[in-house]
Amino acid sequence: MRFPFWRGSLAICRRELLSLWVTPLAWVLLTAFLLIQGGVFYSIVLHSSSLDQGGAPVGPLQAYFGQQSVLLSMTLLFLCPALTMRTFAEERRSGTIEILLTAPLGSGALVLGKYLAVLATYVAIWLPTVLYAVLLRDTGVVQPRVLAVSYAGIALVGSSYLALGTLLSALARSQLVALLTSVFLQFGLFVLGVGEYVLEEGLLRDTSAYLSLTTLLEETSRGLLDSRRIVLHLSVQAWALYVTSRVVESWRGS
Amino acid sequence: MIEALHLTRTFGSVVAVSDLSFCVRPGEAVGLLGPNGAGKTTTFRLLTGSLGPSSGDIRIMGRPLAEHPIEARRHIGYMPENAPLYPELTGAEYLSFRAELAGLPRAERKRAVREAAEQAHASSALGIAIAHLSKGFRQRIALAAALLGQPAVLLLDEPTAGLDPNQVEQVRELVRNLAKERAVLLSTHVLSEVEATCERVIVLSRGKIALEGRLDDLRNPAVADYRLSVRAPRAEVEAAVALAVEAGHVELEEQGDGRIQLTGHGGAEAMNRLLKALVERGIAIEAAAPRRAALSEVFQAATRSGA
Repeated sequence: MRFPFWRGSLAICRRELLSLWVTPLAWVLLTAFLLIQGGVFYSIVLHSSSLDQGGAPVGPLQAYFGQQSVLLSMTLLFLCPALTMRTFAEERRSGTIEILLTAPLGSGALVLGKYLAVLATYVAIWLPTVLYAVLLRDTGVVQPRVLAVSYAGIALVGSSYLALGTLLSALARSQLVALLTSVFLQFGLFVLGVGEYVLEEGLLRDTSAYLSLTTLLEETSRGLLDSRRIVLHLSVQAWALYVTSRVVESWRGS
Repeated sequence: MIEALHLTRTFGSVVAVSDLSFCVRPGEAVGLLGPNGAGKTTTFRLLTGSLGPSSGDIRIMGRPLAEHPIEARRHIGYMPENAPLYPELTGAEYLSFRAELAGLPRAERKRAVREAAEQAHASSALGIAIAHLSKGFRQRIALAAALLGQPAVLLLDEPTAGLDPNQVEQVRELVRNLAKERAVLLSTHVLSEVEATCERVIVLSRGKIALEGRLDDLRNPAVADYRLSVRAPRAEVEAAVALAVEAGHVELEEQGDGRIQLTGHGGAEAMNRLLKALVERGIAIEAAAPRRAALSEVFQAATRSGA
């Protein structure tokens, strides 16, 4: 019987999604995320409308995705680790990893399935924010292409955070350790980007700007997406998922 | 068929299993026995591919596990010890996930889940979240998961742990039926389980095979006791015993009514020699009962020595 790679991943992905959404975890994250983002968006719109007479420098959507990207980054700092912390750490704690390791499934398919599930949940959590654009559609500030690129930036940053979080969950023995290490790592990446504003001109500052997540979000909020940043993030994701599959494979030898 | 060839697995300087070679053919159930720490769990983990061997080979239905892990694992139905499950899923959701993982096409999954649940007597647990199931039902859900897709090889680790006596009998009956066509390897601490379901046993001790063979052969008179009841003066009986068997192999116990009970070791051969010696001395034998060794005795004899 043929059993293609993607079918194994799909089985894992479906189970992972089911577990995420039948437990309170995804719903709590969704609620907390929308409360915070709703508050941020509301204050931006309020601020924009108060500046209307003098003219706001940027539209509220651009401000939400770009100028306020520090706030976004901070939200992602907790959202992504919370989504990924249980992927492997919980399987190892409960012993269900043995079911997965003895299934007719490669480590790559297993890791990909779990990653796709957290990515789909991440997208689902962001999806309601499309309503912000719907609310503003009559004001003339919504540019569909810019909006699409803004979301692409959010997807790019999030998918990298999720890939790194999945790797840390495989390395950690408990969900809490996975959560904390993931938060610290992502905070480290955030701080790395701050170098763009504090370092003097030179290679270090250029590297810092290249790695900066806030700069990426600021650029995408203006409808700009640098292909170098796409390559960087896709490379980070591929590397993290490959290393995760090697870590999973190593459990067979331990 | 399960073939283990010179399997060795070490953890640092600790040798968990050493040079294990055995085979389980389709149509037989084999019991894997051994005291705690003998290497049973490691052996199961090696056979399922969740742990790699330090040396040696495993073949599942002729497929080398090392070279074709996915192909080989497709033939395995595995029920791990303690039945690890996802508590947030219902029995049906979990079994459907396992069916999909086993590669069953969508059209067959529902039927396969229903049939496996019926076989494992877990149908009534299908609609209930696993977190709310009793240990017995969880155990049966895990057993049903191992049966999905009718794998040719079944590896069952403590399949009746947590079940009540009726359920235990149902599972034993199921294992006996499954073993008519499949290769079943069953690990358990319950010796009566092996006696009820298996034709052959492998006894592990300190990571090595201490004993392997058919249950009938292992419990044969060669390692068994026997008991005779005779009516004669003690001195005569002692003289016959001294002629027939080695000192210390027979215990005499006077019954008070003129009868003497002789309990001997050394199997049928020794009993026959003693019978002949007693008859030649004209001693009346009232009863002679060779006793097959209980599996527990075979187990103790094999594992006590450390083999």
